Amino acid sequence: MAGILIVGDLAAGRPGSEFLELAGAGAALAQATGEPLIGALIARDNAAVRQDCLPPVQRLYLIRDSELRHYGAAAFVAAARSALGASSPSIALFAHTLETRDWVPQLAAALDAGLVMDCVALSLDGDALIATKPVYGGSVWGEFAIRGTLRLATLRPGVFTPATPSDKPEVMQLTVEHIAVNAVTMIDEVAAAASGGVNLKNAKVVVSGGRGVGGAKNWHYIEGAASALRAAVGCSRPVADSGWVSSAYTVGLSGSSVTPDLYIAVGISGAVQHLAGISAARTVVAINSDADAEIFARADLGVVGDYKEVLPAFVKRIEQLKS
Amino acid sequence: MDIIVTIKEVTDPNIPPSYVKLDAQAKRIESPFGVAPVLNGYDENALEEALRLRERHGGRVTVLSLGDDSSRKSLKRALAMGADAAILLSDPVWMYADSATVGRALAAAIRKIGKFDLVMCGRQASDTDAGQVLYWIAETLKLPAVSPIAKIAESEPTNLTVHRLIDGGHQRLRVQLPALLGVSSEINEPRHPTMRGTMNAGRALIPGWKLRDLGIAQAVPKVELRRLTVQTRTTKAQLIDGSSDADRGIALADKLHDMGLV
Repeated sequence: MAGILIVGDLAAGRPGSEFLELAGAGAALAQATGEPLIGALIARDNAAVRQDCLPPVQRLYLIRDSELRHYGAAAFVAAARSALGASSPSIALFAHTLETRDWVPQLAAALDAGLVMDCVALSLDGDALIATKPVYGGSVWGEFAIRGTLRLATLRPGVFTPATPSDKPEVMQLTVEHIAVNAVTMIDEVAAAASGGVNLKNAKVVVSGGRGVGGAKNWHYIEGAASALRAAVGCSRPVADSGWVSSAYTVGLSGSSVTPDLYIAVGISGAVQHLAGISAARTVVAINSDADAEIFARADLGVVGDYKEVLPAFVKRIEQLKS
Repeated sequence: MDIIVTIKEVTDPNIPPSYVKLDAQAKRIESPFGVAPVLNGYDENALEEALRLRERHGGRVTVLSLGDDSSRKSLKRALAMGADAAILLSDPVWMYADSATVGRALAAAIRKIGKFDLVMCGRQASDTDAGQVLYWIAETLKLPAVSPIAKIAESEPTNLTVHRLIDGGHQRLRVQLPALLGVSSEINEPRHPTMRGTMNAGRALIPGWKLRDLGIAQAVPKVELRRLTVQTRTTKAQLIDGSSDADRGIALADKLHDMGLV
């Protein structure tokens, strides 16, 4: 038996939006190989599966176990192994998240399988799965050939075209065989302290300031814009290094990676260090007085000008539009 | 507490993307002329945390790097920061090695070193962004791997209490040693080498181990890099027009509103 297996999370009866994207990418591979598309969902709670939001897979495995409520690599690896055991796929796809980037490589190492993470394109070339992923903060793309009887990839969310939900696939329950030995025990889970009222990592909108803001005394321009947009505040590394704001606000390699729908970069030049943290941002706006700043190559929209003039007018207009 | 820290030398991430250069085979990112490669940031965090654990519990910190001869500079920097010993794994067979190969070579070197309580790695390297090597080390040595670590809250000679980042917060975990930690940048602010440390590091001898010194065979790689391509964006940002900066600010608000983003 072979197949293309897609593995996702199920919370409140629904798979994450990434699961439909995995189905879209997996369906293309299934068609090219003539192998069936198979799904596996790891349930994070007791809610029943809602049938109206499932992708067109031939079979869907549901894995439900009390050990899977809180994240732990060993339990997730065990869950995935049970789905892999049931379906013997030639390719397995996962969404690229903070959790999968921890447990999927452990699965790969345990099974001695080739894995490429954070892929933005997939194709087939003979017996190789060709996976493309951004490296070096997204300024370079790497093209990798993955070989072997089982090939693994995690896919960057928001890149692949999602499949349309279809009629009810056949759902089969799977049990997990846990490995009893575990040197890691959880004490508790703690929610992150919010930055500027909004959690930076999960924020839909981020307003970020760079060296071009000119000093701590000007930081209120950034906070004002963030407050008007109900956005989280971010900064580039030089801003934190200069002590204008706490390093907890840093976006980039030395800080947080963010995934907002809208990222507004004010006075940020656009070093690789910073761009690495915003590679998954959907729309990037740059406001910078230097028309040659690198950030304009990454940004979708740009304003060349003095932010001290641009931002107050921008904020005022936003408030008009809202009322 | 004897700790082994794995480090990687990378192209400086604080350079503009347009300065990024590839080697002739388009398989490696090369440092542009005049910009020295640096110690991977997360690895520097791992080393700093190892040094703090040693200050508290005693023991030895050994740094280990797989790379070409220029990686000696990063190993010397690690010694200057306070590491007790450094070892370089360097062999042409590892030129374009995949994560599994690098992880297994590092694991074999750790076995050869012998005594350790903890292996500390950066959560990923800033050049390749693969984030896999630490897990191949852990699997090969049958160690529990815990990553990404934002804090070591408590440390005892036989166990640690760590904060592991998850979506929207962190988990507090008790980790029995021996174990492997993947360290994130939130954990600390790495120290700068002292003058005395730098002078001592300059005189230090760094052994170089090759594949045959590790007693392992070269496996057929499962993942092969075909090529790297520099992403030159053909579409630059759409610039917002206006007669003044304030006008452009207003036009930007209108544009984002039309796009449904605000």
